[in-house]
Amino acid sequence: MDILNELVAWFSDPAQWTGPAGIPARMGEHVYYSLTGLLISAVIAVPIGLFTGHTGMGGFLTASLANFARALPTIGVLFLIVLAAGIGLAPVIAALVALAVPPILVNTHEGVRGVEPRLKDAALGMGMRGGEVLFKLELPVATPLILIGMRTAAVQVVATATIAAYVGVGGLGRYIVDGQARQDLTMMLGGSVLVVALAVVTTLLFAGLRRLLVAPGLRAEAAAAR
Amino acid sequence: MITFEGAAKIYPDGTVAVAHLDLTVETGKTTVFVGPSGSGKTTSLRMINRMVEPTDGTVRIDGADIRGRNPAQLRRAIGYVIQQAGLFPHRTVLDNIATVPLLLGWRRRRARARAAELMELVGLEPAQAKRYPHQLSGGQQQRVGVARALAADPPILLMDEPFSAVDPVVRTSLQDELIRLQQELHKTVVFVTHDIDEAVRLGDRIAVFRPGGELAQYDSPERLLAEPVDAFVESFIGYDRGVRRLSFFPARGLSLREDVVFDDEDRVERARSVVAGDGEPWALVVDSARIPQGWVSAAQLDRAPAGVPLGSLELAPYGHTFDVGTDSLRAALDAAVLSPAGRAVGVDDEGRVVGVVSQDDLGAAIWSVSE
Ligand SMILES: Nc1ncnc2c1ncn2[C@@H]1O[C@H](COP(=O)(O)OP(=O)(O)OP(=O)(O)O)[C@@H](O)[C@H]1O
Ligand SMILES: [Mg+2]
Repeated sequence: MDILNELVAWFSDPAQWTGPAGIPARMGEHVYYSLTGLLISAVIAVPIGLFTGHTGMGGFLTASLANFARALPTIGVLFLIVLAAGIGLAPVIAALVALAVPPILVNTHEGVRGVEPRLKDAALGMGMRGGEVLFKLELPVATPLILIGMRTAAVQVVATATIAAYVGVGGLGRYIVDGQARQDLTMMLGGSVLVVALAVVTTLLFAGLRRLLVAPGLRAEAAAAR
Repeated sequence: MITFEGAAKIYPDGTVAVAHLDLTVETGKTTVFVGPSGSGKTTSLRMINRMVEPTDGTVRIDGADIRGRNPAQLRRAIGYVIQQAGLFPHRTVLDNIATVPLLLGWRRRRARARAAELMELVGLEPAQAKRYPHQLSGGQQQRVGVARALAADPPILLMDEPFSAVDPVVRTSLQDELIRLQQELHKTVVFVTHDIDEAVRLGDRIAVFRPGGELAQYDSPERLLAEPVDAFVESFIGYDRGVRRLSFFPARGLSLREDVVFDDEDRVERARSVVAGDGEPWALVVDSARIPQGWVSAAQLDRAPAGVPLGSLELAPYGHTFDVGTDSLRAALDAAVLSPAGRAVGVDDEGRVVGVVSQDDLGAAIWSVSE
């Protein structure tokens, strides 16, 4: 009970909500790192996944690379990059990208490759060219799966962006790292609660994106198949 | 006119899909490719829109080698309908139909207006325009598939087993629809099926393929059923080809007997005198509007007390009738076979009895066309 009261006190302290070390500022940093990492990952992974899925080339390479990357310990990657490139934001983003690319890449590749052959046959038979098949058929049909890949990536990125604090950058991780250093359990807990809340909001956001980007025909079809 | 000149397709693994095809598909007619599974029907069909490139020989459309045409442009000028329709799940019915016009660069509004026209043409309700494919029945999806293929008004329509995934009742109605459409549009239709009945119903010409990708026979349905060139074709078209062939001869020429048709108010003795005098074992009873009610046998008439109206006797069901104006000998024969009296009831287009055909007369008619 004590710890809960302290947590409430921690959150309701007005000092907590202002200044460069306040919750809004830390949250802003955290969102900024996460968003940057995710966007860079998407810009890398989606086109590659579309290409390999559409052409069927490099499917094995994509899967192996993704599996390899998934097995990497993120914190290890971070320290490696810091050793190589020095302290700063860039190594943090690089580590997040290494984490987020695999799920987006694999899902994009699988989503495109999984489009039913008879639909591709119909598309080609109607006179669509390669690019038209990709953008008028494969991409829209793969969108639900691509979004799931991005959601998985986003939640991981939000959780992992806390490591930024280890290399002296901001974000919600500061509360956890600093709390640990000061043996301040309340502070650590407060930081964790904020990270979890952000992850939940991220998930909700993707539910909204799905409504926005996935054609009703596909959404209902998926629901019917379930 | 589509011409195959020694067209062949041998896959890299050595499979001979089409051995050597010489064939001319006539403009404005329906040509059906029929044959057992793996006999190269689909491969031949797909040569026409360059979905398959022949490894040997040439395919021409109106004399011009199609290798001279850009594949995408060629395909936009040829309608393509596949099994289970292959509709885009993320597009509404209307936008599915508008696909090719949009590829051709039409404005969206015009493409959709055209799509709406096509929906009406193939018998879809306007209310279905905003639906998605998964909300349609198989038969409706196939109609959308046909509409989509016709949207840019291509002169050629390729259909690969378009109706094979729907139940027999729906299939028949889709076939009727295609026959009606074709009477209106006169497209050059190439239709693949392995159902010989479907081929006979739809085809102006039928190409029978044999395993190994060879053309076994290319003929009108009448001639195919009358004169299969060899044992393979004969067995493929089935043991009942003789009966099936009767569908090409109208029932119009049958002689119908009117004297054994009686009103249900008529007395028993009246029917008895006619039937007994003639040795005819059955009489047909109709109501005042000449709608058939059922058969009464000579034995029944003998037993029945005098003065009773025929309508009060227990009548044997008359089965189904044939239309003397529009039906074929096959329909008449079928009606006779299914009738307990072994006689067929001929009706006019409003279902009123014109007369009945005795077995002797039906047999004579069948023999005369079988010569
Ligand atoms: N890509 C391919 N590679 C190798 N063989 C193929 C390929 N496509 C088709 N074939 C073979 O070519 C032959 C003819 O195939 P095709 O699809 O034209 O037959 P079909 O008459 O349409 O049969 P069905 O009635 O089953 O559809 C078959 O033996 C098939 O296995
Ligand atoms: Mg086939």
